[in-house]
Amino acid sequence: MTTISRRSMLAAGAAGVTLFNGPWRHNRVWAQKSAKPILIGLTHDASGQFANSGQDEQRGTVMAIEEINAKGGVLGRKLSYITADTETTPATATRVAERMINRNEVAFIVGAIQSGVANAIGQVAQKYGVVYFNTNSSSPTEAGKDCQRVKFVWDGTGANFANANAANVVNTFGKKWLLLTNDYVWGHNTSKATRQTASKFGAEMADEILVPVGTRDFSPILLKVQQIKPDVVAAAVGGDDLKVMQKQVVDMKLARQPAWLQNQLDWPDVYGLGVESVFGVFGTTWYHKLDLPGVADLVKRYQARWPETRIDVPGNVFYNGYMAMHELAKAIERAGSTNNIKVIKALEGHKMAARDRMQHFDAYIDPVSHHVQQTIYLASGNDKPVDKTDYFKILSQVEPDKAKDPNEAANCKLQPYDKTPTYEM
Amino acid sequence: MHGARLVTPSMLVAFAIFGTLPFWITEIGLYRYLGVEILIWCIYALGFNLLMGYAGLPSFGHGAYFGIGAYACGLAQFELWANLWFCLAAGVVAAAVFGAVVAAFISHRRGIYFALMTIAFGQMFFFIASKWTSVTNGEDGLLNIARLPVELGFWNYPIRGNADFYWFVFACFVVCVVALWRLVNSPFGKVVQAIKQNEARMAFLGYRVALYKAVAFILSCAVAGFAGALFAMAQGGAFVQVMNLQWSGVIVLMVLIGGGFVSFWGPVLGTVLYFVARDLLGAYTEAWLLWFGLMFMAVVMFKPEGLAGIGQDALRKWRGLPRAPAAGWAWLRR
Amino acid sequence: MDLVGYLLPHLLNGIALGLLFALIALGFMLIIGVMEVINLAHGSLFALGAYAALALLAGEGGPRPELLGWFLQLPNVLRYALALVLAPLAVAVVGMGLEICLRRTYGKDPLYGLLLTFGAALVIEELIRLAWGPSERFLPVPAAITGGVAIGELIYSKYRFFASGFSILMIGLLWLFLEKTRYGALIKAGAHDSEMVRALGVNLPRLRTLVFGFGTALAAIAGIVMAPIWGIRPHVGVDAVVPAFVVIVLGGVGSFWGAVLAGLMVGMVVGLTGAFATDWSLISMYILLILVVTFRGRGLFGKKSILEA
Repeated sequence: MTTISRRSMLAAGAAGVTLFNGPWRHNRVWAQKSAKPILIGLTHDASGQFANSGQDEQRGTVMAIEEINAKGGVLGRKLSYITADTETTPATATRVAERMINRNEVAFIVGAIQSGVANAIGQVAQKYGVVYFNTNSSSPTEAGKDCQRVKFVWDGTGANFANANAANVVNTFGKKWLLLTNDYVWGHNTSKATRQTASKFGAEMADEILVPVGTRDFSPILLKVQQIKPDVVAAAVGGDDLKVMQKQVVDMKLARQPAWLQNQLDWPDVYGLGVESVFGVFGTTWYHKLDLPGVADLVKRYQARWPETRIDVPGNVFYNGYMAMHELAKAIERAGSTNNIKVIKALEGHKMAARDRMQHFDAYIDPVSHHVQQTIYLASGNDKPVDKTDYFKILSQVEPDKAKDPNEAANCKLQPYDKTPTYEM
Repeated sequence: MHGARLVTPSMLVAFAIFGTLPFWITEIGLYRYLGVEILIWCIYALGFNLLMGYAGLPSFGHGAYFGIGAYACGLAQFELWANLWFCLAAGVVAAAVFGAVVAAFISHRRGIYFALMTIAFGQMFFFIASKWTSVTNGEDGLLNIARLPVELGFWNYPIRGNADFYWFVFACFVVCVVALWRLVNSPFGKVVQAIKQNEARMAFLGYRVALYKAVAFILSCAVAGFAGALFAMAQGGAFVQVMNLQWSGVIVLMVLIGGGFVSFWGPVLGTVLYFVARDLLGAYTEAWLLWFGLMFMAVVMFKPEGLAGIGQDALRKWRGLPRAPAAGWAWLRR
Repeated sequence: MDLVGYLLPHLLNGIALGLLFALIALGFMLIIGVMEVINLAHGSLFALGAYAALALLAGEGGPRPELLGWFLQLPNVLRYALALVLAPLAVAVVGMGLEICLRRTYGKDPLYGLLLTFGAALVIEELIRLAWGPSERFLPVPAAITGGVAIGELIYSKYRFFASGFSILMIGLLWLFLEKTRYGALIKAGAHDSEMVRALGVNLPRLRTLVFGFGTALAAIAGIVMAPIWGIRPHVGVDAVVPAFVVIVLGGVGSFWGAVLAGLMVGMVVGLTGAFATDWSLISMYILLILVVTFRGRGLFGKKSILEA
């Protein structure tokens, strides 16, 4: 069923794009006219570990493009898009980015789930000066050490979620903590942030267990967790490992004792597995049952546009893609041009009203790190779901500046403007 | 066989095609970076075929050495000396050293046990690279690896753009092709091929079989490391994914589908097919691997000699000769 | 805390894990041991088994879910038991089709069989993705075998006991079949002395097709049993085929008990490193393999086979 929707989406993309940019012909017919569409390169994973999330953010970016076009486009130009599978593989992502820029001549590139892919695309984009939106990779290094002048980071990072959650969890559940850290960069950075913040509120770290990437059996770890008897297990486990861990924790009914603090749960990773598969306390940037104006309407539009997808309601991954694309259009409008430097300046420091973003607090694009500083929600599994999509219970919302990563600004060194080539399509 | 001629007609054809590629690749709807990538993978595949096609030793963990070459290139550039030749040499030497350690364990093995040990070592290197984040930067990747200028003492030439970088990779390709061609036609190459056909007999004749196998393995690792170093510069970074099992399988697939068993040029044909098919199929369907997998199965079933085999048949037919003699395939039949 | 009390749960867990590794390797072992084909599609068939069971148990996906309506009305336990039989049968049909393709590689370098199954693995995985989509799935199992059970101070997973017990059952049944039945004898003889078997009037190609089907059915069974532990996703097969490989090489190609013992060793090593040096728990099985094969060229109990050529 998903297949059909993907196919029809592809068909739509193909009709709009490949007619003009078929693989064998370089068509410059639009270049002569001012009404040339603004071509967006969508680099969403369609295979590999993050295929499911990649397709979800694609639903977000595509739906935003359609809405923008329905209102007449930007600067009198329509938006069109091409998609390419980045396969959750940096080598592929580099090639895709080179191809989109050199052959398809895209104006902007949008999309990423994994930090290696985001970095691979970001490097190519920076080389040519193409503005690139990392929609969903939440590695703290994305807006820190690996930040770039052309790259903007739209998801909350591991550090944001750790900052937002830690204080609350120490007070509610106790001070003896155990860190479960996926043994890769995201895991390490996230656990480091958790350790920093939680220690500030009096938590003591009993141990840190490094979970190798690709772990499929958590039984030795779960036994050890029981032997250590912590009050709180702070898990920075991601990707397939997280799905496997959730399953095994839930199966053993270890979900309530100890208390689990998970960094972030992506909606495509949990939706469809049943409400009971969600446990512990975790962060998110958006939820489809937030009691805010516009949310219910967005859910309706999503369901009308994507009736056949298995994910019945929009989640955070969709949301980040959707919001990023709308903000891109607005930035082009403000800049009055698709010139990269003008668009970058229109984005840097830009404030986004809470109402427009359907979050509780105003958000802004940090001019120092190019990171969208936004409301972070603290949520838990829902013990009183009102319907079959109601997985989360939103516990509280944290203002952007309270969730902000204190190390981000120091770690991020954006390239100067004059080292960024001018680019305009 | 063209004996040990330094340059063969087929080489000239290949050099003519790849040497003019930047002038026409955009005209057929592709792009120069793809050309860069294809050439680098051709080098990698040619080196791999030294092991698989000529020595008959299938390695399913070769991505590890490609990746080691890439990391070594980047680290040499950041930590030691930002010089093109030095970084490339670092890639070659690092891959060869790791290859030598592995060869010490596996050069006495044959067939499946050889293949499986290469998987085990490949997986170990992959895990260590993903785990050792202070050196490799893990899944974020070792970023900002520069395309260093070509320094020839009297003349410096920057290769930052895709076109300039392509010319440099092309020069590397030419050198590798000539060197590998010489190697497979050298006495060493003949012994290695004889070992493939009958290891016991060669051992009986007094050849130190394990040593020859080890050298073939190390050379092939060194070429993989060289290609990896080039790839790190092409991509501007080194990432761990190329070291995983899937990508190690892809190189086997490319070499076989091209016909590495019957032709020196098989790996090149396979690499070109793989990248072009992927780019074109990938533009139309997300399930391109399905079609590629089916094509691959069909080749293994109906034409295990691969593209090169098809080409050879066509050439023979054109010249009015009978199809490939079965006798040349005796070693396959046992 | 005393050391024994601390270690014991991990030792027991290691054995349980080892039984699961052995179960994952059974189908792979049969095909490599009897037919001397390295079936790289083992993982994809493992995944296909899990998806077939998903179609039967949850009515999800597959080409025509509506055809399964009557089946979905049956009680949960019965459906689960039936799924354990029907899904492997369906996968066996796929496996037998693959064997017919494989015939063209017989008598050639074993590498060709390996490569053909590698291609098949890609194809099956992509087909799964097209039929069921890329998202994570959940295989419902009867409530009786879910949840935790407290032994002493610690909680263990009930399902894991079921899975380990089931794998002992499968190992036993397979051994009885191979050693104590006429078919088992024929299968073993067919591998090593095809002339003799043919002289007995047995249709050898058909026998090989059936053996391959049987091996893939075992892969599917392992997929169904592992699904509640590992989850189901299109690329889940990679997680199965690599350990299967390790177990077989460690145990030695062609040795039944070698594979079982190797499975237990791998489980023990992964279980113990998982508890005491967790970050090394995935590499540990490769280190074990390299150590053993360095000193014993054919693994623990390996026999000489054409796969060494």
